[in-house]
Amino acid sequence: MLGKLLKYEIKSTARVFLPIYGLIIALALLNKFFIANNTYVYSNSTNKAMQIAATVSMMTYVAFIVALFVVTLVVLIRRFYRNLLGDEGYLSFTLPVSIHSHIDSKLIVTFMWEALSLIVAGFSIFIMTINGNTMQSFSKFCMGISEVYEKYGPLAHQLTAEAIIFVILSMLACILQIYASIVIGSLSGKHKMLASFGVFIGFGIVQQIILSNVYGGRFGKDIMDESFAYFMRTELISMIIFSLVFAAVFYFITDWMLRKKLNIE
Amino acid sequence: MDNIMECRNLVKYYPGCLALNSVSLAVPKGQIVGLLGPNGSGKTTLIKLMNGLLTPTSGEILVNGMKPGVETKRIVSYLPERTYLNDWMDVKTMTDFFGDFYKDFRKDKAYEMLQRLGINPKDRLKTMSKGTKEKVQLILVMSREAELYVLDEPIGGVDPATRDYILNTIISNYSENATVIISTHLISDVEKILDGVIFINKGSIVLTSTVDDIRENEGKSVDALFREVFKC
Repeated sequence: MLGKLLKYEIKSTARVFLPIYGLIIALALLNKFFIANNTYVYSNSTNKAMQIAATVSMMTYVAFIVALFVVTLVVLIRRFYRNLLGDEGYLSFTLPVSIHSHIDSKLIVTFMWEALSLIVAGFSIFIMTINGNTMQSFSKFCMGISEVYEKYGPLAHQLTAEAIIFVILSMLACILQIYASIVIGSLSGKHKMLASFGVFIGFGIVQQIILSNVYGGRFGKDIMDESFAYFMRTELISMIIFSLVFAAVFYFITDWMLRKKLNIE
Repeated sequence: MDNIMECRNLVKYYPGCLALNSVSLAVPKGQIVGLLGPNGSGKTTLIKLMNGLLTPTSGEILVNGMKPGVETKRIVSYLPERTYLNDWMDVKTMTDFFGDFYKDFRKDKAYEMLQRLGINPKDRLKTMSKGTKEKVQLILVMSREAELYVLDEPIGGVDPATRDYILNTIISNYSENATVIISTHLISDVEKILDGVIFINKGSIVLTSTVDDIRENEGKSVDALFREVFKC
C-alpha cells in the first residue's frame, strides 16, 4: 500500500515541481548563452538591448531559484495539511492504509523533492559557470580532495559518509518537525496556522536548549589535543544521534496525534 | 457475528460538548437502516467513529466485530457529508485511485453509472459543480462491493430527480448480506427503502425499530413519527 500512496503522492506534487525545474534549466541555458557572448561585460550601444535581456534573464533565474525553495516548503505544508487534515482527509483516513504509511509516503516524497531541488539548483549553476577556467579549477578541487583522501584514508571516507548521513537525517528531522507542528497546531480551534507556527518555534527552542546543555563548554576544550578530523568524526556521530532522536520524537508525535486525536473539521 | 456494527456505552466528548452520551446499539447484517435525527444530534459523530475518523472518549464501537482500523476500512464504504475528492484529479484518475486502494471496487460499474448520469470521465473535479461532485462521490462509493455502506446525507445536495436515481442505485447495488446505514433528515424521501430506523437526539438513542413495526404499532409513517418525537 505504501507504493500506491507514493504513486499518488508523486503524481500530485510532480505537477508543481517539474515545470519549475524545466524553467530553471532553460533560464540557466539562456544565461549561459549571454555569459558566453560576454553580454554583461561590453557595454557598447548596439548591444544595449542584449544587455537588458541578459540582466532580465539572470534576475528571473535568481527569482526562480528563490521560488523553488519557497514552493518546496509551501507544497510540503499544504499537501500534508489538505490531504490529511482538510476535506481530503475524509478519503485518506478511510483508505485501508495504516497511519504510518501516510506519514512515510509524505516524508519520502518531500525528501525526494528537496533533494531534487538541490540537485537541479546545483546543476543549473554548473551549466552557467562551466568553461575552460572553471573546469580547470574544478579538476584542481577534485585533486585536492583525492589528496585528502589519500592522506587520511578510511577516516576521510568515514567523515564523508557521516556528513551525508547527518545532512539526510537533519532534513528528515526538519520535515517531521513541521508535520508534528501542523498536527498539534490543528488542535486549536481558530488560527490553526498561527498555532502550528508557534509550536514549530517552541520545538526549535526546546531543541536549542537541549543541544546547548549537551554541547555547552565542550567546544574549545581539548580540541588541540586531537587532530581536527578525529574531532569532527566524534562530533558528527553525536550530531547524527541527536538528529535521529529528534526525528524519532517528531515522528512519534505525528503518528500518535493522528491516531488518537484526529478530528477533521 | 450477526451484527455488522455494534456500540457499547459509547461516549464522545468534545471540549465543551457531549456529542454522544453512552450509546449502545446494534445494527444487524443485511438491512437498510436510517440514522435519523435533527441537526447536531450526533449522527455525523457516530458515523465518524464507525470509520475511525474519531476515537471514542470511552466505551466501544465494533465494525464486524473489530475496532475501526485498516481491516474494517477494507469492508466499509463511506460517503462523508462533504466532498473529499482531490481537486487535481479527473474522474478517471479518481476511479483508478479507488481501484488501486479498494479490492472490492468495480470499475465497470462505476463507468456505467457515470455514463448514465452524463458525467465525462475526462472532466476535472475542479471544474465541476457541487452537485456533480456529490454524484461522482456517490458513484465511487456505491461501485464498491462492500459489506457496510455508511452514507452521511447522500441526497442532501441534489435535485429530486437525481435523488430518485441515487436511491434506486443504493437499493439495486447492495447485495443480500450487505448493510446500508443512511443518515438524513429528508425522511419522506428515504422512508420507502428503509428496513429499520434509529432515532437519535442530543447524543442519545431515542428509538430503534423496524419500519414495519412503526407502521403496525403506531399506525403512522416514519416521517409522521419523527415529527411527533422531535416536535419543537
